Amino acid sequence: MFLRLVADSFGRRPRHKLLTGAALALGMAVATAALSVSLDVGDRLAKEFRSLGANLLVTPQADSLPLEIGGVDYRPVNAGAYLPEADLPKLKTIFWHNNIMGFSPILEVPIEAWSPASMSWITPAVAGKASLIGTWAQHNVEIPDGTTYLTGVVKTNPWWDVKGQWFGEDSRQCVVGMNLLKRIGARLGDDLNVSSGDHAKWVTLKVVGVLSSGGSEDESVLAPLSVAQELAGRPGRYRKLYVSALTKPEDAFAKRDPKSFTPAEYDRWFCTPYISSIAFQIQQELLGTDVQVIRRVAEGEGQILTRVRMLLWLVTGAALLAAALAVGASSAASVIERRTEIGLMKALGAGSGTVGFLLAAEQLLLAFVGGGAGYALGIILARLLGEEIFGAAPEPSLAVFFVIIALAAGVTILGSALPLRRASRYEPAPILRGE
Amino acid sequence: MADRRANNRVMFWRIIRRLLGANSGRLFVMLLALGAGAAVTAALLNLQVDAKQRLTIEFRSFGANFVVAPHDASELGTTATLPWDENVVKTIRAQAYQETPIVPFLYLVASAQKLSSPMLPLKGKQIQTVVVGTDLMNLHLVAGTKFPEVFGWEESDYENLKTECFLGERIAKQLGVIKGDQVVLLYENRAEQLGVLGIVSAGGAEDNQIFMELGTAQRLSWMNERVSLIQVSYPGTPKEIQAFWSKLASQLGNAEVRPIRQFTEGEAKIYNRISGLLTATVAIVLVLTGLCVMAAMTNVAMERKNDVGLMKAIGGSVRRVLRLFLAEAALLGLAGGMIGGATGIFLSIGLGKAVFGAAARPRLIVYPVTVALTVIVAILSAYPLRRLASIRPASVFRGEA
Repeated sequence: MFLRLVADSFGRRPRHKLLTGAALALGMAVATAALSVSLDVGDRLAKEFRSLGANLLVTPQADSLPLEIGGVDYRPVNAGAYLPEADLPKLKTIFWHNNIMGFSPILEVPIEAWSPASMSWITPAVAGKASLIGTWAQHNVEIPDGTTYLTGVVKTNPWWDVKGQWFGEDSRQCVVGMNLLKRIGARLGDDLNVSSGDHAKWVTLKVVGVLSSGGSEDESVLAPLSVAQELAGRPGRYRKLYVSALTKPEDAFAKRDPKSFTPAEYDRWFCTPYISSIAFQIQQELLGTDVQVIRRVAEGEGQILTRVRMLLWLVTGAALLAAALAVGASSAASVIERRTEIGLMKALGAGSGTVGFLLAAEQLLLAFVGGGAGYALGIILARLLGEEIFGAAPEPSLAVFFVIIALAAGVTILGSALPLRRASRYEPAPILRGE
Repeated sequence: MADRRANNRVMFWRIIRRLLGANSGRLFVMLLALGAGAAVTAALLNLQVDAKQRLTIEFRSFGANFVVAPHDASELGTTATLPWDENVVKTIRAQAYQETPIVPFLYLVASAQKLSSPMLPLKGKQIQTVVVGTDLMNLHLVAGTKFPEVFGWEESDYENLKTECFLGERIAKQLGVIKGDQVVLLYENRAEQLGVLGIVSAGGAEDNQIFMELGTAQRLSWMNERVSLIQVSYPGTPKEIQAFWSKLASQLGNAEVRPIRQFTEGEAKIYNRISGLLTATVAIVLVLTGLCVMAAMTNVAMERKNDVGLMKAIGGSVRRVLRLFLAEAALLGLAGGMIGGATGIFLSIGLGKAVFGAAARPRLIVYPVTVALTVIVAILSAYPLRRLASIRPASVFRGEA
């Protein structure tokens, strides 16, 4: 009988139920879309922030002080320590190896460069003092687990703009900074003679690309790491390493000194991709190194990410609130309007409890159907939004589904509870008389 | 004739009053739904404009995005300098805002040594290092790093800063210097003794440098009124930044204006993503909220079948009945929009404070827009009553249909 009553109520007033259901579904769709985007957006934005490039710098522990002005190191060639290139694949074996988005080793050599093409029978070639940056452009790193990983400055310095193409790894090619190229009168496709600062060694490189970086690299020659090692007489060595890692913004917990942690806190810190814990893990893996956090990038990123995340949670909160109020109002209205029916039921001998139970069951049924439909709609919207903005859709999460269903049920019950309580006090007779 | 029309009007408003007052529960529910929608609309609209502007300011936590450097600072080993006087600052300031940080840098390679006691002759190792003369009070605005010691300084400390410096973490370690020590800097045949205000860790070249006031470095190097470069941190959307660059470049003839591409480009990309995300999310939330409120209101309106039936039975024309209900809806929308809109604006002020630490500026335009939107939603949601025109009064009263 109970089920029949519920079914009858749906069958008799299909349009009403449809509208209440639509309000519910739309409200829940807002909630779902906003929730899914907020849950997903942190990771996506963190990835976007990697367009700022590396946030960790690895240098030899025993290094002498670099005399660096505007990105150019004025130290004599042989000062300072070097690190072994062979250790680099270990970077992809740390606990957070999936968060390492790219790395590139750097070996700088002071050089003199001139282009035979700029020489004619009346003018001698213009030689330019510059520095040659040996690095990886796009290098396949063999990782101990048998896979290979493509990385290089393309990943760690994404704002570098190369006209032409990058040099091939282990080739005799180079990319020249645009200011240097202008200064020595060379052109794309020319050969470039490069000799180390003390003129002990020299190589001929083919200019395959022109770099514009907006920094000191515009005054340099970029060549494969092996060329720089040859010129410096340091086979298999590099000077510094830039690492770009996906991190979680540092909170108060992450800012504490790791030495003061209890074992449980230490585990938590180690297993969270804070920049400090990633730096710590790299330092453990690459022996004899100092891993510094490039604070300018890391701090700015953390601050902005936190703000944007808060902002989106706020929008989500507002959406949830509006959806809840509108849906609650809708279910309250549908109970208010059914006074006559309630009166009739009571006149036929139903207790207030039974009436309340019946109406609640109806509302719950509606909440489940509407909430489910709203969830589906919201997921579609979140997908569209994610694909439009980040080129990747957020994963539908089961947790969101349960939150939405619970919210729908809670809101409808709350919305109908107040009018129901009032309805339970009605005397059936005046209602039926239409007073 | 005029009399009858006046009578009609009185009757019209009277009916509306009755319609609104007849059921306080329903009135409350409708106002709640409309008000909630309006509040969220107003809050989000207000916050959205503000958030984007705030975001461009937030991006300045990365520090400077422009470098003004001499044209020929190119050949390795040579350091050209720029004049640093009122004129340069004025030229840059004219393109920027009053509070835009413009910070000079003068780089020198000097020898540094720890001074263990003023009585003893200098001993301990001399280390070649990069000395940076700058504006210590404003350095953190362009360096993008929170130099913790810098924050505590007051304007009144300014005079003292001339004999103080602070050291990067690594140079401090090499010199064996801690806060409160004295260091001596040697440049050619001149020396300068400075107190150590603090040690900083920035994770970049700064860790190997010694920072001091520009005047001190100029005195040390005898380069009065000269700087190596000037850093500017200009806030704005990618478009505004581009415009600033081209204007400044054309005005500074003797210097080159370089955007720090790492930040200008990265920021532009991130800004576009975030503002797109915000706009899209807000738009979806607003549209769905509007639809949701409309569905809820339509549901309520459809319950008015009896009223429509009654009015038709006593001779109301379909048009007039419809007009009554639309007027009621518009009134409700107006009230809901006004209450909700005001609530929403207050809400956004609080929310702005929570997110950005500064209250969102209420934009007056948001209020009428919100009220208008709410009225439209309310009228649209009453519109399905038109379908009730086909109702035959008798069947309503018999309890059919």
